Amino acid sequence: MLAMYLLGPCKSAGVVIVDGSDAEVDIIDIDLPDGKVILEKKQVTESNTPSIILSLTKINSITSGANFYIKKPITQEAMLNALTTAKDHILKNSNKTKSRPETEPSLLDEPLLAPIVQDVVSEPAKPPSLKHYVADINDRDKTSKHRTAMQMDEKGFAAYMGIMESLDITNAAQLKQAHYNPRDYFQGYLQSALKVASARNQIVQLNSGWKPLLIFPHNHEIWLNADDKQLRAFAGIIINKGGDSHKNMSLTPLDSNSAATYDLDKFQSMEVLVWKLACWTSKGRYPQQIDIDSPVFLKHWPNFTRLLITPHAMRIAALLADKPRTAASIALALKIKPEYVFIFISAAFAIGLLSQVAKNTDIAAAPQEIKPDKKHSLFSRIISKLRANNE
Amino acid sequence: MSQYKIIFAGPVGAGKTTAIHSISDVPPVKTDATASDMAKDRKSATTVAMDYGIMNLPGGEKLHLYGTPGQERFNFMWDILTEGGIGLILLLDNTRADPFLDMKFFLDSFSQFISKTTVAIGVTQMDLSDKPTIADYQIKLKEIGLNRPVFAVDARVKNDISILVQSLLYSLDPVMEE
Repeated sequence: MLAMYLLGPCKSAGVVIVDGSDAEVDIIDIDLPDGKVILEKKQVTESNTPSIILSLTKINSITSGANFYIKKPITQEAMLNALTTAKDHILKNSNKTKSRPETEPSLLDEPLLAPIVQDVVSEPAKPPSLKHYVADINDRDKTSKHRTAMQMDEKGFAAYMGIMESLDITNAAQLKQAHYNPRDYFQGYLQSALKVASARNQIVQLNSGWKPLLIFPHNHEIWLNADDKQLRAFAGIIINKGGDSHKNMSLTPLDSNSAATYDLDKFQSMEVLVWKLACWTSKGRYPQQIDIDSPVFLKHWPNFTRLLITPHAMRIAALLADKPRTAASIALALKIKPEYVFIFISAAFAIGLLSQVAKNTDIAAAPQEIKPDKKHSLFSRIISKLRANNE
Repeated sequence: MSQYKIIFAGPVGAGKTTAIHSISDVPPVKTDATASDMAKDRKSATTVAMDYGIMNLPGGEKLHLYGTPGQERFNFMWDILTEGGIGLILLLDNTRADPFLDMKFFLDSFSQFISKTTVAIGVTQMDLSDKPTIADYQIKLKEIGLNRPVFAVDARVKNDISILVQSLLYSLDPVMEE
């Protein structure tokens, strides 16, 4: 709402609403439940960012220094005056702004394989904001970001993926060997780069000697100048084993205006890109960080409307959201090839949704046989109809 | 022949009418009227009784799709509509002031029905308001002991609504073959 107000009645005087750490001006409504707490936190941290404080009642003590008070109801004129004053304040203090890091961190110095963490609880430094309106009107043109999922059956997936190793569910030794190390592939480098970008809260470019890839940690987006076909081919190449390919990998910090100069249709959400990259790198294998004999569980359902839906992925999710299970027990219960379970495990693990039950944890064993629902046949017909409609 | 139904619920403007339209085989029956209360701030016409659509299934059976009116004053109808239902699709509008409050309200209101069946949640308008995130909704659900599908959806996109309904059915019966 505020975004619309700034873009509309205020004629774009305040243009973009961003996360707190990037804001040039904070607008705080102290009549909201958390408003006073946010203001107090800001005063404690002695932030130099000017604040425009909105309230129903006049509070003289806060109309000082870098604080500008507006009494409600807010008029367009009052908001424009406050924004102008805040802008002057910023210009006067521009020499005090933080200098950006100029070093180029070496990617291989950073630990690989950190799953993306997007939970609000992982960002204690920022006050939790319930709402975030997308003031950037270009967001709707980031078509890849909002694109609906591709849902694949076994036949379509086989044609899409090419040759995958066929595994025998009864051959325990073969299953145990069907692993891969994401660190050997582009997947590992991308996950490492995401971790660096998030930890430093810094837009970075991942240089790989392939296509440029930019990471925008603030809005969990990645810009990649490659289509899925190209990425799928690159995903399967071993980079970090012998050879010099990994030496091409590095990170370059970029400034916060970088997003403005790139094609909007090449932005993707981090989660979507990492998920599909893990599917393509896995090719029916599981990540070696997983103990395949121990049960795994799903912290919550993946956002399937925006992710690549591999064969049986929703059935696997439904089982794992209910109880921890081993990969083999999932394949047996659903009567599916283990490689489809491994692909799901790889993708869900890569985006931090899948965890493993500790070996000494006492959990009730999930039943191998699952009875179908009484309306099994009806549900099957509904699913067939829904899928036929999508074709 | 048995009659089966899926219920679509959610606050005013969450996209229930549009979602039913996306997957119905017949033009949905709408009972819209000019909004005269708080709904008028969000859209010019609102559903005052219910929406109704049909999916014709292989074998001649029909799946009935019912959308409940968003305004609380019609909640006397909700028990009647849910009787014999397969499950609940809850649509939430991410641009509303407190979507968590909406989620809690509808989960509480339909708690009996959900305990007998299940629920899948679609969050609309995420291109206009990207917070709360899907992970935020999942954290809130976990606080009340639920691990259910929560997806970003565009109610106008058939595939989004199709995937949401499929997740509802797979939650009820994961062993159902694809």
